[in-house]
Amino acid sequence: MPSAYPLPLSAAARRAAKLGACALLAFAFDGAARAAGTPAGSVVRNTATATYDAPSGGETTITSNEVSLTVDEILGVTVASGDPGDVSVTPGATAQILRYTLTNIGNGSEKFSLLARSNAGGDDFDPGSAEIILDTNGNGAYDAGVDTLYVAGTNDPQLAPDASQTVFVRSVIPAGVTDGQRARVDLVATALTGSGAPGIVFTGQGQGGGNAIVGTTGGTAEDDGYYRVQQASIGFVKSAVVLDPFGHASAMPGAFITYTLAVTISGSGSIANLRIADTIPAGTTYRAGTLTLDGGALTDGVDGDAGTFTGSGIAVSLGNVPAGAQHNVTFQVKID
Amino acid sequence: MKFFLPFLALLSATAATAAPNGVTLNNAVFVEHVRVDAQGHRTVALDPPAVVTPGDHLVFVLTYRNGGAQPATGFGVTNPIPDAVTFESVEDPRAVVSVDHGATWGALATLTVAQPDGSRRPAVAADVTHVRWAFSQPIPAGAEGRLTFRGIVK
Repeated sequence: MPSAYPLPLSAAARRAAKLGACALLAFAFDGAARAAGTPAGSVVRNTATATYDAPSGGETTITSNEVSLTVDEILGVTVASGDPGDVSVTPGATAQILRYTLTNIGNGSEKFSLLARSNAGGDDFDPGSAEIILDTNGNGAYDAGVDTLYVAGTNDPQLAPDASQTVFVRSVIPAGVTDGQRARVDLVATALTGSGAPGIVFTGQGQGGGNAIVGTTGGTAEDDGYYRVQQASIGFVKSAVVLDPFGHASAMPGAFITYTLAVTISGSGSIANLRIADTIPAGTTYRAGTLTLDGGALTDGVDGDAGTFTGSGIAVSLGNVPAGAQHNVTFQVKID
Repeated sequence: MKFFLPFLALLSATAATAAPNGVTLNNAVFVEHVRVDAQGHRTVALDPPAVVTPGDHLVFVLTYRNGGAQPATGFGVTNPIPDAVTFESVEDPRAVVSVDHGATWGALATLTVAQPDGSRRPAVAADVTHVRWAFSQPIPAGAEGRLTFRGIVK
């Protein structure tokens, strides 16, 4: 311990002071900075020394009694949805995943029970199943067959102070839902040691032998995630314009018929691999080179462009078409 | 420092470290709780450390007593700050602090701390590693007094 002020400290005394300061908490506290603070169960010990002139000359050093106190455990947790927005689903889809992150904001290692609440209201439909899956391999992504099903009381996740765990809610989307409808699922995490009003003390139940105290979050937390149904629908209108050799619209042999196939995608999401096909009507003959898409000519052969004449009809592949898009395909036939 | 009064009785009930016919130094720690009643009145209570959590304010109280027959001269008290505690303040004109484990001492405003780039910044309370009280006057025989400092549980 340091010598009396204002005498300068010797190197040895300085070392001793440092050692003494470190030894005070070597028991449990390693000095690392933590958001959650000093770990529960750490013992804070304090001792002071006094020096004064000895009656016989020299110096007398006395040491105070040691006071020690055990840092108690704060019970605290946060839950945050891990999805950037609504998760798009389609009617009848299975194994649809919502993602949440729970974080132990207490200062003790704590187990948390989990609950997925899919009937909380504030939405349009309730998804089915709503199983909780633990991100067992810790990669933040749902891996079917790898990440394990959560069973309350059996594999409640245990988190060190400041540690986080990703959990998923896996749901089935009812078949009858329609475009734009939303479903809310709350994930609730609660400290197993206890929860309730902030400040409640669970005597002796803290990690490391101290007490456990409900923190400002009440020892429980929840956040909501949303599914949103994205269902695109196809509007398909076919129209025909006849032009006879005399400049009129009589459907006579030799007249041309221009067919227009108008496709409109409504709703939300997209239609995958949309392909438009039409057969050449009996009694007519396809006019080579008349196939167009949105005003641009398409060749009849099977080649790089989207359109082909198959011999009995035309086909145009549009690929993935998002909601809101409209496409027009035209071709001409001649009445035999 | 009006919050000293409530625990006078508590302190006298605590056995001081025995040092026959000499100076004794007794150490105690309290947790400060601020309570606000329905009228918005704040009450600061210093409670025995039954429940302590990170962020709590602690008050360390050192009571010295000269039990000898002669005045004690050259008296000084040194208290290293526990690692899990952030020093907050000491209100005593005799007190000096160190931010370098006792190598240098002074009022906090006069101390600096080296930064990674080699420059020095003014020291703040959280840098304090030790607090010390140096007495210029002898402690008369039979006299006693209290020294306090405040800290926060990290």
